Formats: sequence, C-alpha cells, structure tokens
Amino acid sequence: MFERRLYYHIDWALVAAILALCGIGVVMIYSTTSDPTRAASHLWATQLYAIALGLIAMAVTLSVDYRAFTDKSHLIYIALIAVLVYVMFFGTVQMGARRWISLKLVNVQPSEFAKVGVALVLAKFYGENRGAPQWTDLAIGAALTLLPLALIAKEPDLGTAVVLLPVFVAIAFLAGMRLRILGVLFLALILAAPVAWMFALRPYQKTRISTFLDPSREARGAGYQQIQARITVGSGGLTGKGFRKGTQGQLRFLPVAHNDFIFSVLAEEQGFAGVLVALGLYLFVILRALEAARLAKDRLGSYLVLGVLASFSFQVIYNITMSAGLAPVKGLTLPLMSYGGSSMIATLAGFGLVLNVRMRRFTN
Amino acid sequence: MVEDRRKAGIRLSALQVVIAAFFSVLSVSFWVLQVVQHQQYNELAENNHQRTLALRAPRGLVFDREGRVMVENRQSYSISIVREHTKDLGRTIRVLAAVLGLDESGVRSIVERHRRDPSYQPITIIQDASLAQVAAVTARRLDFELPDVVVQPTPTRRYPETMAAHLFGYVGEVNDAQVAGDGTLKSGDITGQSGIEKTYNAFLMGEDGAKRVVVNSVGREIRTLEEAPFTEGKRLQLTVDYDVQKAIEDGFDSIGLNGAAVVLDPADGGVLGFTSRPAYDPNAFASGIDRATWASLTADRDKPLNDRAIQGRYAPGSTFKMAVALAGLEEGIITPDFHVYCPGHANFYGRDFKCWRFNRGGHGSIDLRHAIQQSCDVYFYTIANMIGVDKINKWATALGMGVMSGIDLPNEAQGLVPSTEWKREKLHEKWYAGETISVGIGQGAVTTTPVSMAVYMATLANGGTRVTPHLLRAVDDGSGWKPVPTPGPKSRVQIDPEKLQAIRDGMWMAVNEPGGTGGAARIPGHEVAGKTGTAQVISNQGKAAAGKTEKDLRDNGWFVFFAPRDNPQIAGVVFLEHGVHGGNAALVVHHILETFFAKKDGKPLPPKPTLVANLNPSMG
Repeated sequence: MFERRLYYHIDWALVAAILALCGIGVVMIYSTTSDPTRAASHLWATQLYAIALGLIAMAVTLSVDYRAFTDKSHLIYIALIAVLVYVMFFGTVQMGARRWISLKLVNVQPSEFAKVGVALVLAKFYGENRGAPQWTDLAIGAALTLLPLALIAKEPDLGTAVVLLPVFVAIAFLAGMRLRILGVLFLALILAAPVAWMFALRPYQKTRISTFLDPSREARGAGYQQIQARITVGSGGLTGKGFRKGTQGQLRFLPVAHNDFIFSVLAEEQGFAGVLVALGLYLFVILRALEAARLAKDRLGSYLVLGVLASFSFQVIYNITMSAGLAPVKGLTLPLMSYGGSSMIATLAGFGLVLNVRMRRFTN
Repeated sequence: MVEDRRKAGIRLSALQVVIAAFFSVLSVSFWVLQVVQHQQYNELAENNHQRTLALRAPRGLVFDREGRVMVENRQSYSISIVREHTKDLGRTIRVLAAVLGLDESGVRSIVERHRRDPSYQPITIIQDASLAQVAAVTARRLDFELPDVVVQPTPTRRYPETMAAHLFGYVGEVNDAQVAGDGTLKSGDITGQSGIEKTYNAFLMGEDGAKRVVVNSVGREIRTLEEAPFTEGKRLQLTVDYDVQKAIEDGFDSIGLNGAAVVLDPADGGVLGFTSRPAYDPNAFASGIDRATWASLTADRDKPLNDRAIQGRYAPGSTFKMAVALAGLEEGIITPDFHVYCPGHANFYGRDFKCWRFNRGGHGSIDLRHAIQQSCDVYFYTIANMIGVDKINKWATALGMGVMSGIDLPNEAQGLVPSTEWKREKLHEKWYAGETISVGIGQGAVTTTPVSMAVYMATLANGGTRVTPHLLRAVDDGSGWKPVPTPGPKSRVQIDPEKLQAIRDGMWMAVNEPGGTGGAARIPGHEVAGKTGTAQVISNQGKAAAGKTEKDLRDNGWFVFFAPRDNPQIAGVVFLEHGVHGGNAALVVHHILETFFAKKDGKPLPPKPTLVANLNPSMG
C-alpha cells in the first residue's frame, strides 16, 4: 500500500511549518497555564500527547491512498452522523454544552472530526460529478453539509457547526459552481440573518453579536472579553512583554487564554514580531496546501484538499480576528495552536490527507 | 476536461488571492493595534492589573498613668466602592446594598456625599463589616459582579471597657467642614470627633500609607510593586489612673444615678479620673455609627452625648460656702471665731430665708468651722450679706469657679458667679443687696461646672494655686516616652494659712465629726476633708407652681473633697443629678477615696461597692 518512493514526495516543508505552529502553541499553553499554584498546570504536556497522537493519525491518513478513504466516505459519513446523534443523547455535558463523548481517559469531541468527514464525502460526491454542479448537485451537497451542521449546532456548538459551511462552499466553488449561484447563496445568507436573529439564535449568541457592535455597552459581560482581547494585543507592542510576562494572560484578565485566545497571548508576550511569524507560518501552510490542490492528479484529490483547507483557513482567520478583539467572540479555537486534543488530532489527520494527495500526484 | 482543469486553476488562484488579502488585512490590523495604538492599550493594561491601595494607619494607643492600655485598635474589614473601576454605579449600589443587607438609599447617600472625591479613592460603605458580609462581597467579586468593590483590612478603634466615654470621646469620618478647616485631613479619613480623640487628634492620627499592587482579574493581589508603609499614630499616656477611673465608674454603676465626677491631683491638676453619666459606648462610633443608634442617642432625654463634667452648669449649693468663707476671712470681714445665732431662719431685706435645719430649730450660736461642718445656711446668709457679692465673686473666681478650667477637652462651658458688674452688663440692671443672700449658699444666679468645682477643691488643697486640669502626661512617637510639660496654673492667690486651715478644719469636721453632713466619705486612718451640697433645680415657689410635671425636679447632690487634709494628694467632686442629697454623692466619693488610699498603702483594692442612695427628700 505504502510505496517507499512516496516517502520522498512528502511535503516536508508543510510538515515543518505545521510542527512549528504546534510548537508555538505548546509554548504559549505552557506560558498561560504552567503556574504551579493552579490546578491545571500540565495542559502543555497533555497537548504534547495530543500532537503525538495527531502525528500518528497523520501517518495513517497519508499512508493509505486517499481514494481508499473517499471510496468509503459514505460509510465514514454515516458513522459520523451516528456518533453525533449519540452525543446528542449520551454526550458529556461541559459548560452547558453536550459536545463530548467520555472515553475512559479522555473526552472526544466528535464535531471536530465532522470537518474531515464532510470534506471526504463532498470531495467524493463532486469528484464523481463531471461538469459544473447543477442545482440538484448543490442541493444534495448542501443537505450533506447541513445534516451534521444541524446536529452540532444543537449541542450547542454554533462555532464548530458554522465551520462546516466553508467546506461545502469551497468545494462547490472549485467544482465549477456558477458564480451567479454563489451570489444568490450569499444574498440568501444576508437575508436569512435577520430571520435567524429573530428565531434561531439563543440570547447569549445575540448578546455576543450586539456586544461586538458596541463592546462598551457591556464592558463587564460579553463585551469584556472583546475589550480585554484588544487590550491584550495592543499592550504587547512591537516586541512583546516577554515569555510568561504578559499581564493580561497571566493574571487572567483574558478568559480561556490557553484556548480560544491563545493568539492574543502570543501577541502580548511576543509582540507584533511574534504575530508576524505566526501569521507567516499560517499563510505558508494554507498557500502550500492550496498548491497541493493545484497539483492533485484528479479532481477528487484537489476537492479533498480544499475541503480540509476550507474549514482550517476559516477557523484560523476568524480566530485571529477575534483574538484581536475585531470579531464577535465565539468558541472557535485556533487550529494547531489552541489547547484541545480532538481538534489537534482531527486537524493533523486532515493535513495527512493533504500530504496524501500531494505525494500521490504521480501515482496511478 | 482540460477546460475544467483551467477553470479550476483560475478559481484556486482566486482563493490564493483572497487568503493573501485576509492575511494582509490581519497584519495591518495587528500593526495598528500593537504599534500605532500601543501606548493607549498599554495604559489600559496597566490600569487593569495595578491598583493603589490605602494602608490605613492605626491610631495611637492610649495608656493610663501606669501604662495600662485604655484605648486600642482591632483589625476589621471595611467595604468600599472604587468608582475608577465602575461601569454602572447605580447597579453597583443596588447589588452591594442587597448583598450587604443595607438600605439602598443609605448606600446611595454615602456615595453621593463623596461624589467629588477623586474616583480612585475608595468610598467606604461599611467600616466594620461582618464576616458574612465580607464573604458575600468576595464571592461576587469572583463572578465579576462587583469588581469595583474592595474589601480592605482597616484598624478600628476599640475601647476595651466602656469607661470615661466622654474623656476618650469617639472617632468618626471627617465631615466637609473639617476637611475644609484642616489641610491635613482628606475626605474619608477617620478623625477624633470629641474628647481626647479630638483634642489630641494630631498626635493620635497616624499617616496612611499606600501600596501599588498587581492584581489578577478577580482583584486578588499577586505581588506588591511598591509600598509606602503607614506611620502609626503617636501613643499617649494620660494622667488618668485606671483604678481611680474604675472606682468612679463602679461607684456610679452602683448608685444608679446620672451625674459627673472629676478627680484631680491637686499639686498639678493632672486628672486622675473623670466621668459623665449617662455615658455612651464609644465603640459604637468606632466603625461608623448607624442611624438608629445615633437617633436614640440624640433623642434620649438624658442627653448621654453631653459631657456633664465640663458642659453641665449647676447651682453648687452648699459646696459654695467655703468660697464665701474664704472671701470673708481674707477680706478681713470675719474671723474663724465669728459667731452667728441660727434660729432656723433669718430675715434679710424684708424676706425670710430658711436654714435647712428649720424644722429642728436651727443650729443655735455657731462659729465658722461648725457652720461649714453642719452647713448652716443662716451663718452664710449673714456673712454673705456682710461681704457683698463682688468680693464673693473675686474669691470664687480665684478658686476656679465662674471661669473656664482650661482642661484639654473640647467644648468646655463656663459657669457663672454673679457680680454687680455682670448684672449691669448682661441684664442692664442694678444688683440688689437681697440677691447676695442666696449667693451665700450657692444658689440664685450661681452656676458651676463639675470640673471647675474640682479645680476649686484643688486650689483649697494646694493653698491657692489654680491649677489647670489636664489629661496628657507623655507622648511616644515611637522613639520612647517624652513627658509633656504640665500646663501652668491659671492664677495664684496668697491665702493666709491660718485662715485656710479654719476652712479645711470645717471640711474635715463635716466628714469626721458627729453632726457633720459628709460622714459617708469618712475613711479611717485618712483625714478626708469634704463638703456636701444639695442644690435646688428650681426654687421652692417654682416647685409649687410647677406642680406635677414630667420633669425631674428633685434636688441635685454634690460632694466636694480633698484628702488628706494637711497634705492633700487628691481633690475632686462627685455630682449626682437629682441625687437629692450631697450625702449620696459622698457614698460614691467614699469608694473613690477608699480605692485611692488602698492603692497608696499597698493594700488590696476594695471590691465593687453596693451603694444605696437615700432619695427621701425630708432628710437634711
């Protein structure tokens, strides 16, 4: 299955960039949580385990030909839906949301794996369709996306749910969906916004959005995080306050600093210089992966790469914007850097597929 | 197929451009936040995690003359609002009032009072919070509910025993007038409001320190950046003797009457003991008095906040007779052997004046010593008439009556010893010779404060030096006790020792010989000299006219004293409001002197007495 010569086609530059980002993440997690007076002081070690597991997952997803995965994607998809339904009824509740499956040692968050699952099934679906997708193709693709999305949104985890949308849009876009249809989709989304506001959003979600528009309105509530994020980033300056010297993150003015706001901590402690390095690495990873999509030997491969990349890029851009206090606060982590095992493993597995497509560009 | 491929390539390029654009925008955004606006956000970050906390300086401790602690401090917690960190003051007030179980409008009015203070200065809502209140606030700070509320350790004044309340006075938050009048005070300071807490506030008040600390998001202090320590207030040593003070308090507790007592060292005027009854608990003020307690104190008909010892003005009654006697002797109008016949009453200027012994046929022929001993009114009517009001005024003043004593306590009142000049100036009327008769027995227009009566006794005891009563003995600013110079005497008169001795003899006989009025104050082995006084609150005619009123019209009782007769070490007065007889006051004096001499002699102090006042008016 795994031919030795493929080894030489692994995109080591991409792997290096990914590992660099993981490394920065661990360092930042250490900085914010290693305070020995606190209970959770070993999160950085846990993150290292997650990275190790993620690398194993990556090895698995790149060693088997990606077509083997896409061939079984309908099964993977069905399994995914089954697990999400299971979570809905038997999941572990943490912080008011039922998102986790409790295994003996760890809690697994299936919604993180949904991104890869949806990318696989959509790549297969549009990869088999020749020519620009028609209305029915779009409707089926949308339905395949919306089913897990609805299940995840119900948990509730609106952040992760919304991340599935770019997967569908990106693959459909690359598959040749007419731009007019794309325009109509956007229009529909804009029109749907007030309706969603009225009926679909929960009060805390509404507060977050209205607070974003005017953070000072609730400076101690939802606006607090946003203001603090901006202060955290702004006070970092050009070169930062130094490792473990950031006051905002260290003194916990910024909540979940090791998680959603890890980039703010980086900006505070390492300054604009550190931000540029991290942004450069992310940009490199994304562009390098786009390169893989371009090089893919078949449409299936490039759709799969783009599907994986779409949710990743969306999450990176949104999280970094949010961590500068420039977007409404959502529970959306920064892939590769934020603390979180499921996200790390799912992301690295996804990149395994990207590497997979690239290195098999010459095989038949 | 190739066409598809080409189209997909274009779309991938478009995505590359979009991604690159996003990252460019992000870079620029971070550059604006971190480089362009860095200054502004850095200040916000520092303001976030740095706080300046006041370190409240404890007030100086107060000791008695033997170094026993009389006023100290205890650690308490104050709860304040720091508006610097407030977003919605109305909400903070609402939540805080609910959490503390306080009236919301009360909290609001406190905040309103400090509206103009700088916003970083904490506004104290509760001085001395209960543990439950501290816990309730701390829990809500953790929830970000009350991030602008601080709980600070604050030293609070403690008066271990509720004694000498009016002497110590009480502390309270400065009012606006005090801030305006004294540059060293600032809003929110705790300052002395009465008693020595007020007089010696400059000594007692320490200097608050401050520390700049790093706090985390829930306000917990992480580390101190810089600290300016507080300076504790200076320690004061008083002239007061705890045992004498305790004897006074016990005496009053036991006899159950209101009044005042002042006990002095006749040599220099040092106050050995001092009380005013009814008293209040100064501890109630130490942590900010609550409205209800304050209202009950001010509404109390007995006026517990009044310091009767220095502010109460009462007719001295028979205790005034020694002043009249001294005026007669020193002006050469009488000699100690001058006799008057007392049939129980006498007629002056067409009006009949009764002796208190009217019902038992008077005192018969009586000389000065016995007239003092038995308090014969007719004798003093007669000699007062001979001496005249102005000479009485001169000698009473020299002995300390009708003038301020100059004691180091705030708001002393001045008594009155009438004179022809006084009447002309104040009332624009001529003095009638008939008015002098009542003055001879300390009635009429004569009023004195208990403290001035103590000075009067000290002056008789030391032979003519009108000492200044004072409370402060030494000050310790941390470098050891430094004695405070004794305030000089107010005046000095030459008194012929023989003439003075006649008066002292009369007072000694009043206590120590049968027929004297002050036998209750007798201490075997110690030559106590004293004099009772029973003074009308209202004239006999007035009493009849008033009939049954709500007001207590029973006579006031006095006992003035010094001891031992020939080398006095203690002098003073006990005044009992509506005490009916001077003899009741003598009971209290007995306990004071018994304690004083037991201590001098190195004997065990007497136990708390059981004094029973005789409130039957028919007794002489």
